[in-house]
Amino acid sequence: MSLELETTKSEDFVSTDEISLLVIILDTNPGQRLLRENPQTLTQCVDSIIAFGNSHLMQKSQNKLAIMACHSKTSEFIYPGASKTLDIRQIDGQYEVFTLVERTIKTNLHKIIATENTILSNESLLAGALSMALCYIHRIQRNKPPGCKLNSRILVVTGSGDSAFQYMSYMNVFFTAQKQNVVIDVCALDQHLSLLQQGCDITNGLYLKIPQLQGLLQYLLWVFLPEPPIRPKLVLPPPVKVDYRAACFCHREMVDIGYVCSVCLSIFCKFSPICTTCHTVFKMPGPLAVKSKKKKMKL
Amino acid sequence: MVDEEDAKEYRWETGYEKTWEAIKEDDEGFLEASVTDIIQRAKRKRQAQKLPNTKLGMMRHLYLLLDCSDSMSNQDLKPTRLYCTLKLLELFIEEFFDQNPISQLGVIIMQNKRADKISELTGNPRKHIKAITTLNRTSLIGEPSLQNGLNVALKSLKLLPSHASREVLVIIGSLTTCDPTDINTTIDALKVEGVRCSIIGLAAEVHICKQLAAETNGTYSVILDDSHYKDLLFQHIEPPPAAVCLDSSLIKMGFPHQMVTEGTDEPLTMCMCHVDSVEEGSKLTTGGYYCPQCCSKYCELPVECRVCGLTLVSAPHLARSYHHLFPAPSFKETDYNNQSLICYSCQKSFTDLDKHVYQCPKCERTFCIDCDIFIHDVLHTCPGCATNPAILQSNSD
Repeated sequence: MSLELETTKSEDFVSTDEISLLVIILDTNPGQRLLRENPQTLTQCVDSIIAFGNSHLMQKSQNKLAIMACHSKTSEFIYPGASKTLDIRQIDGQYEVFTLVERTIKTNLHKIIATENTILSNESLLAGALSMALCYIHRIQRNKPPGCKLNSRILVVTGSGDSAFQYMSYMNVFFTAQKQNVVIDVCALDQHLSLLQQGCDITNGLYLKIPQLQGLLQYLLWVFLPEPPIRPKLVLPPPVKVDYRAACFCHREMVDIGYVCSVCLSIFCKFSPICTTCHTVFKMPGPLAVKSKKKKMKL
Repeated sequence: MVDEEDAKEYRWETGYEKTWEAIKEDDEGFLEASVTDIIQRAKRKRQAQKLPNTKLGMMRHLYLLLDCSDSMSNQDLKPTRLYCTLKLLELFIEEFFDQNPISQLGVIIMQNKRADKISELTGNPRKHIKAITTLNRTSLIGEPSLQNGLNVALKSLKLLPSHASREVLVIIGSLTTCDPTDINTTIDALKVEGVRCSIIGLAAEVHICKQLAAETNGTYSVILDDSHYKDLLFQHIEPPPAAVCLDSSLIKMGFPHQMVTEGTDEPLTMCMCHVDSVEEGSKLTTGGYYCPQCCSKYCELPVECRVCGLTLVSAPHLARSYHHLFPAPSFKETDYNNQSLICYSCQKSFTDLDKHVYQCPKCERTFCIDCDIFIHDVLHTCPGCATNPAILQSNSD
């Protein structure tokens, strides 16, 4: 009985009217440490991404691919680009689509890097790129042929860190992705990314900080190429326990027990009479009164 | 946006919505494009009406007061009023907790002149949905009593701490109410306690409902059909402006984390949430969230600790509510004259069919109508601003 169920399930999965859309966000911000120290790394990353993207396209003819570059000032789709598709003829027997992917990515990336000016910032605006990717996925979802099922996921490849000032955008993006059934995978090249790790956990994606940059393509193919439904059957790096504790707004320290402003939901580690975020004045005996009331109710 | 919907005007005096004139065929003779256009316009209008910078009641305590009287068996909504209501409420409850994770909800039914609480004020959506689904087997008898229902709700809302936003949402199909005493005294009591009462009528406008909503700063609306019903119901998912008497206070909350010590496995323990449950008893498990004050274990958040009464949440739960406080700026509608070839976020190329495009007042990027709706309804972040370092920096300061 259970065997029968297994087979019907797997048949469902290979049905032809399922489209897998993969959106790759590549962090090309020249300010990140990895690229500042060794600019050639970008070439290796781009080559790996192209090979990885092509492998995704090769798996099934319906598979779709989109690649974004998250640069210091803007985020742009570099495949499929906004401009007209290049005219590609077959070279050395390579499948034309693969050549098209490679050419388009390289031309568009070249354009972006050429317009770069010198001010460097070491933080990339990944939350913005993710929100664009979600809008793009939403459009593809809307315009898909009826009866089709679209499985979409986003892979973020980045070497920069994450900081709190994008926190709200990140959270909005994660909850939207969760609602739209979009899986967010993250491949960290250089630093540990705690915010993006929370995003992976919320959307059931995978988070991996790769130990060696030389093996990037292998990590990508091994961990991130399989579709999310197949993943439980594979031996992948075990999920890490994510710390969901909050940081207080006053000292940026992790708190176990904190005080939350009832107006703007800011978190503080100590009782203070005025909220520093929204300037609300609190009743002085606030927390004590609440506590005693609850105790009374329990009795 | 101030137009024919003036409250004083009678329905027959307003400009009759000649919907058939608004519908135009597209080049291939299809109607669909223009129908979606009408719906999207209505959505945009509502977004524009949202006032920024108002203090909202974030910690909501809402009682659903559901009419289960004879009138709910009426078949003007298919299959019956009750079935249609229950289906919509299931969706409503799920969405309510998705958007207001630290809020609480309770359900009261009004039947045969009595009011019964079928689920207590808690933050667990599954409990409520279970209670709601059992309702489709109840026999719909007698008349409802609005006063009894409101009294039951008031009795439990009264006990809440002063920073809690207290609300009642009445869904009433009956045109009458059979009350033991004068309902006006109950309305006054609700007013004193700052309970906001909103009513959705399934039949026609009733004076006492209108008065109740007006005196307690709630809204009163009567449905036209089932899709309008859903629309009205879902407007109550957004937190309402805070009541005047609402105090602000700092609330003590716990942020549990897993107890992991390097190299050792977690001990097998039982959770407190299922410990006295009859249907699914507590099982020995390893994972879970531990109350930082008394170390009792719970299998899901958010929850109020049963031992020490501390509210346990995780940071993303609070973050889920931030978008109500910091919404994305509403976009300007402008005529399309080749400002930009593609929509900034979804990469759709604009054609002659796109009469209007939408511009963010902050980052001045151009978006298509679908993205405009998606950004304001679901995403709550403007992709243009989020990819612009200068704007992000100024926002966070």
